[in-house]
Amino acid sequence: MSDAAQPAPRGGKWGAVGRRVGVRLLSAVPALFGVLIFTFLLMRVLPGDPAVFFAAGANAGQAEIDMVREQMGLDRPMHEQLVRYLWDITRGNLGNSMTTGQPVRTDLIERLPASLELTFSALLLALSLALPLGIVAALRPGTLVDHVVRFLCTLGVCVPTFVSGLLLIYVFYYLLAWAPDPTGRLDIFAATPPEITGFLLIDFALVGDWEGWRAAAGQLILPASTMALFVLAPLARMTRASMLAVLGSDFVRTAKSLGLSNWRIIVVYALRNALLPVLTISGIVFSTMLGANVLVEKVFSWPGVASYALDALLASDYAPVQGFVLLMATIFVMVNLLIDILYGVADPRASVA
Amino acid sequence: MGATLPAGEASAQTRAETLRYVTGNTVNSLDPSVPGSTRESFGLSMNVYDRLAAFGRKRLGDNWVFDHNDIRGELAERIDRSPDGRTFTFHIRQGATWHDGTPVTAEDVKWSLDRAVSARSLAPPQMSTGSITSPEQFRIAGPRVVEMMVERPDRLALSNMCVPYAIMINSTLAKRHATTDDPWALNWLKDNSAAGGAYIVEQHRPGTQTILRRNDNWRGGEQPGFRRVIVQTVPEVATRANLVERGDADLSIDLQPSDVAALAQRGRVKVVSVPQTNGFTHISMNNTMAPFDDVKVRQAIAAALPYQDMFQAALFSRGRALFGADWTTTPPNSDFPQPMPLHTNLERARELLRESGHPNGFSTTFTIGTGVSAWAEPMAALIKESLARININVDIRKLPDAQFNTGQAERTLPFYTEAGTAWLPAPDYFFRLYFTRPQRWNFASFNNEEINALTREAQFETDAARYDAACKRMIEILAAEVPLILAWQPLHEAVMARNIEGYTYWFYRQADFRDLKRV
Repeated sequence: MSDAAQPAPRGGKWGAVGRRVGVRLLSAVPALFGVLIFTFLLMRVLPGDPAVFFAAGANAGQAEIDMVREQMGLDRPMHEQLVRYLWDITRGNLGNSMTTGQPVRTDLIERLPASLELTFSALLLALSLALPLGIVAALRPGTLVDHVVRFLCTLGVCVPTFVSGLLLIYVFYYLLAWAPDPTGRLDIFAATPPEITGFLLIDFALVGDWEGWRAAAGQLILPASTMALFVLAPLARMTRASMLAVLGSDFVRTAKSLGLSNWRIIVVYALRNALLPVLTISGIVFSTMLGANVLVEKVFSWPGVASYALDALLASDYAPVQGFVLLMATIFVMVNLLIDILYGVADPRASVA
Repeated sequence: MGATLPAGEASAQTRAETLRYVTGNTVNSLDPSVPGSTRESFGLSMNVYDRLAAFGRKRLGDNWVFDHNDIRGELAERIDRSPDGRTFTFHIRQGATWHDGTPVTAEDVKWSLDRAVSARSLAPPQMSTGSITSPEQFRIAGPRVVEMMVERPDRLALSNMCVPYAIMINSTLAKRHATTDDPWALNWLKDNSAAGGAYIVEQHRPGTQTILRRNDNWRGGEQPGFRRVIVQTVPEVATRANLVERGDADLSIDLQPSDVAALAQRGRVKVVSVPQTNGFTHISMNNTMAPFDDVKVRQAIAAALPYQDMFQAALFSRGRALFGADWTTTPPNSDFPQPMPLHTNLERARELLRESGHPNGFSTTFTIGTGVSAWAEPMAALIKESLARININVDIRKLPDAQFNTGQAERTLPFYTEAGTAWLPAPDYFFRLYFTRPQRWNFASFNNEEINALTREAQFETDAARYDAACKRMIEILAAEVPLILAWQPLHEAVMARNIEGYTYWFYRQADFRDLKRV
């Protein structure tokens, strides 16, 4: 990010942005390539022979182990495996998963929307809680309110997600029966919407099935809350710190002395300026959540990519893990780019560089 | 569902006729013989595919268990065995059809059997345990008659026709999807079925759920009670327990022993607990590795383990103990696994250790896999504590399953625990599989000339008394040599809605939906 040297004419500005986005994407290629090679090597350095694991039928002996090894292409020298892998990737083939018996690409395409939908909802929920909490805490630093907010955040970050998830299930499903059964994205007996985007909330809305939409939203509440609790702390603390800094600055003092309303000062002048660091941290939180919500996905039987990758890792199933890491790296690049573009919206002085 | 009133009733009815089975694992292949297919895949294939023959079931206390001595026809309506025991004639059930409505032919059966011995899958090694190795052993003997010939009267030839791998396939359909690289359509059958069994696959999403619809034209047995079956993956074990207890799911197996105990106590669900009659949990020592190559060291360890405490800590004693028998040299019968004369006696252990030339003990590593850590961890802690009393220092090492299996297959683990099940619980099969040959399932790398010879003979022994004597002798050798320690048979525990009847324990440790009814 750097300050734009001079204001450009409107069409030219968007053209420049497009060029910069292109450059940024290109510059991400070496990084992605590095990630690719690194995961490839790392998986093969890990102890644990996938062929042995998958040839585990009764009476399966060395011959069957060798057979599986050949099927997985692991009988070839390492450099040949790498070349084949890279060649396959250029054609969009990520290999096959032994764990699910499907092509990795199919698995990821089917599961990514589930993870994204959950992560987006959780992030929105977290932001809608964290921003007000952070602002309130910043307006009354050192008071009881501030301490309560700090306590809430600490609690959220201290309790591991599988504990809070199971606890929420126990209370809201098992004891109170308010929540639907915590398995997957939709009630098992309900009809699924047609596959349009893969995001159930969007698909249901597109076909106008509001009953289905409510059912999908109901399934989403507990896992999204579990994740939101966990990331409340960084967001709220960052909002508080950033607000405190802005509220103490000259232009807020000027605004106050001019007699502007409190509401206007806080929301229009202070908050907008305080948002930049919150935006940065949101991007990081989002990318982390996407990969790190494996426990939430496990607890809620959420058919997402993180639990998929974990199962594969435990089985030393190379292709799904490599595919997952590549996907995560790509998403990370995209999110960072998006955040940089949003910078420009929040602060016109910043632009994509 | 519809908006009118009766529709609500109809959907309630559908729910009653639907079995929702929740499992921690996934059905990753519809063809059970594909390498890597899970135990859930075996169970599913029993419901979707027919085999030529099937095991019967019998009562064990209040429960049903499979009976490997009672073999009936499934796709075959009659099975004849020649007097010399070498030829089996299968008569295909009159009017039997595949799911697509086409009739089952002798060609289909021949193709399916050929596939079981020729495809690059896990089926051929299993079939070979019954002396079934080559397509030449199968012959079409009539429009609905197929013959199977074995060179010697193998005791397990027919049993192998009942295992999950011996599926009967609609060959016309399968061949349409075969390629030159894949003549047996392994790839296609992984995600599609060409079957004629009691249930039809309606939807298959590997990793999340599989939905089955009843095949009302099925005549291979009594008509199943449920019209629909949903097999759903729910990884979190506590959630599975909650779902069944709240009545949202109907059946789950493989829950934690502690959860099962609590569920049974609260009494809102039915708990069926059956000892895994064909299974065992063992503590293995690598017999080719010092110091465990010394029989005295193995006997010392066997005398030092705190059996009762381990059983309680690992399984809350929910199982059948295989220790503490009161015979000394000769077993009372030829059943296997049966309780062995293992007792905790630290004095004796110290003495044996002195005799073996390790008066000051030694150090070793005890390995457990993460998949079994729920019961193996408490067991490992007690082993460490107990062996410390006879100066053996044990380090506990916990490995991810893939790594654990690799160590086991490469025979680099000196001392470890695991559980095993034999599909065919004939004593000679147990010994052949788990105590002979340098292969993966010989957990202790045991090599005893007498047992090797006995298993070779017993496989083809037609005289019952001589077979019994051979099995007893093998059990005697096992008790004396302790290549590994048989600890217990865990319980197979199924938790289900209280109105479900007929649950049966099967050798592949999965629910057979055809047995179940809601009453």
